[in-house]
Amino acid sequence: MTALSKCVPTLERGVPFTITVNGQAIEAYAGESIATALLAAGHRAFRKSDAGDAPRGLFCGMGICFDCLVTVDGLPNQRACMTEAREGSDVRVSET
Amino acid sequence: MSLVSSRHRTIARLHYRTMNTTEIAVIGAGPAGIAAAVTTAEAGAHVTLIDENPRPGGQYYKQPPFAFDTRTERWRQRSLPLSLAENIQHGRELLAGLNHSRITVRPNTLVWNITADRVLDLFAPEGGSRVQAKRVIVASGAYERVVPFGGWTLPGVTTVGAAQLLLKGQGLLLGQKILLCGTGPLLQLAAAQLLDAGAEIAAIVELHSRTEFLGQGLKLLGQWGKLGQGMAQQKRLVEAGVPIKYGSIVVEALGENQIEGAVIAKVDSNGHPLAGTEEKIYTDTLCINFGFVPATELTRLAGCEQYFDSHFDAFATKTNDELETSVRGIFAAGEVRGIGGVEVALLEGKLAGNAAARQLGYAAKANGHDPSTSQPLQREWQKARAAFESLSGMFAVKRDLFQSIADDVIVCRCEEVTAGARRDAARAGAQQLNALKAWNRCGMGRCQGRVCGPIAAQIIASETGANLELVGMLTARVAMTKCACGGAWRINWSSVSQIARVCSTS
Repeated sequence: MTALSKCVPTLERGVPFTITVNGQAIEAYAGESIATALLAAGHRAFRKSDAGDAPRGLFCGMGICFDCLVTVDGLPNQRACMTEAREGSDVRVSET
Repeated sequence: MSLVSSRHRTIARLHYRTMNTTEIAVIGAGPAGIAAAVTTAEAGAHVTLIDENPRPGGQYYKQPPFAFDTRTERWRQRSLPLSLAENIQHGRELLAGLNHSRITVRPNTLVWNITADRVLDLFAPEGGSRVQAKRVIVASGAYERVVPFGGWTLPGVTTVGAAQLLLKGQGLLLGQKILLCGTGPLLQLAAAQLLDAGAEIAAIVELHSRTEFLGQGLKLLGQWGKLGQGMAQQKRLVEAGVPIKYGSIVVEALGENQIEGAVIAKVDSNGHPLAGTEEKIYTDTLCINFGFVPATELTRLAGCEQYFDSHFDAFATKTNDELETSVRGIFAAGEVRGIGGVEVALLEGKLAGNAAARQLGYAAKANGHDPSTSQPLQREWQKARAAFESLSGMFAVKRDLFQSIADDVIVCRCEEVTAGARRDAARAGAQQLNALKAWNRCGMGRCQGRVCGPIAAQIIASETGANLELVGMLTARVAMTKCACGGAWRINWSSVSQIARVCSTS
């Protein structure tokens, strides 16, 4: 998957760790939100809408719209933009 | 007896893990909240500053994670666009004031209930708690206003703020080719920042015509700092060959599973798209911002009176000159009491902080001003407010825009209610927001109308001819935002897997 979102290259992020997205390992850095890690790994659609089954992803970026919901470590409906990635986080997104 | 009060009693019976008291609770750690906390603490009061985000700063002074290396001069010069690096630096200087023995900062903490007698219910990862505050200062900020179009729910379509926050707070560039649409100075500022950070800007699609835009710009005469900043941005954008499409809107975002392009069209002076002017632009990211709407749900829930701010076409929380709301002991500062920008927010934080501290008997000097005579601060504030209000035309949304939203466009993203369904309901008699919510669940979903409420109000107004003030606001409900039951209360559930609204919404 080619990522359209890119980390600013000159910003030093420390040492990466691994989280999994639907079982596949991706890289994340301390302080990153799950949304950032997902976007940088090329995931844009995070879930499907409740009624229309349409792809949804990050929208407001500040925790008010609840469109970027993902499952983290078994807890469903977590806002990817407000949840920090932790080493070993098990993230589930709905593939489109 | 209202339903809400019986719910409050139910909640009161539940056993909390902790129960705290504080002299002053400040809700929201943006510019207004930080200024309020620092001011009250310096006056002598003990303050608890509560914010849902991991780090204080709010959206305006959003700080990068501590783990990112942002200490060096090199970072300031090279890693992020200068305006963002400076913004983060200003925020950092302001945040330094929070290192005060009388200030307790509670990050990652959501206020999900507030009562008129100043009891706050909190939700944090470590559990739920309740705080009784002697005084409360609500500095809950604002949200972005969005005008929807077909395809706006596609991944890759976000608010302008989302792109800016990702860049300054996370060091992430949202897309490679970015189209920005909406109205107001934020579009050009964000475009210049995204450009400097390495993105290509497909175009800026500005609702106002060039004449209208420049006419608004003339109001900056006298506000030289802002005018200079605006002109420098324009120069930067023009030099980079960024197309600025004045008097235009996005009518549709194209793509299957994510955005791949957009159709834009010119509009007449009322905001109606003109047939035959459509133009297709390829882009991988589309960002929308039509100004801001005050985040008033906490003050509404507490029963504070609201007023319709005709400058910015939105309801805001009413206060007196001391920034106290209609509910004794609850103050409001910053965008929640009317869109005003960062300078106004900082001044209002100080004023509210002074007034709240004074009510508790603290009269020590705060920020060089004797709280008992906050006169100079008052004058500065009135001036800053007037200066910002003179710019309100830049954010003005044209009413006909909402008439032209196609019937099949989803307006309520959570409940997937279309513009057509809203119009049908409005025609059938649902002429107020609360009626519309009961009619077709619009505003009843997870976002609780934060995104769609202002849009729905405009659609009703354009359909029925009623003014926005009469269309009204959605009634605020406990819990303010979704949070886990098991975290909010001490309930020993083996698995709190279902995130549910703590109390049913309607």
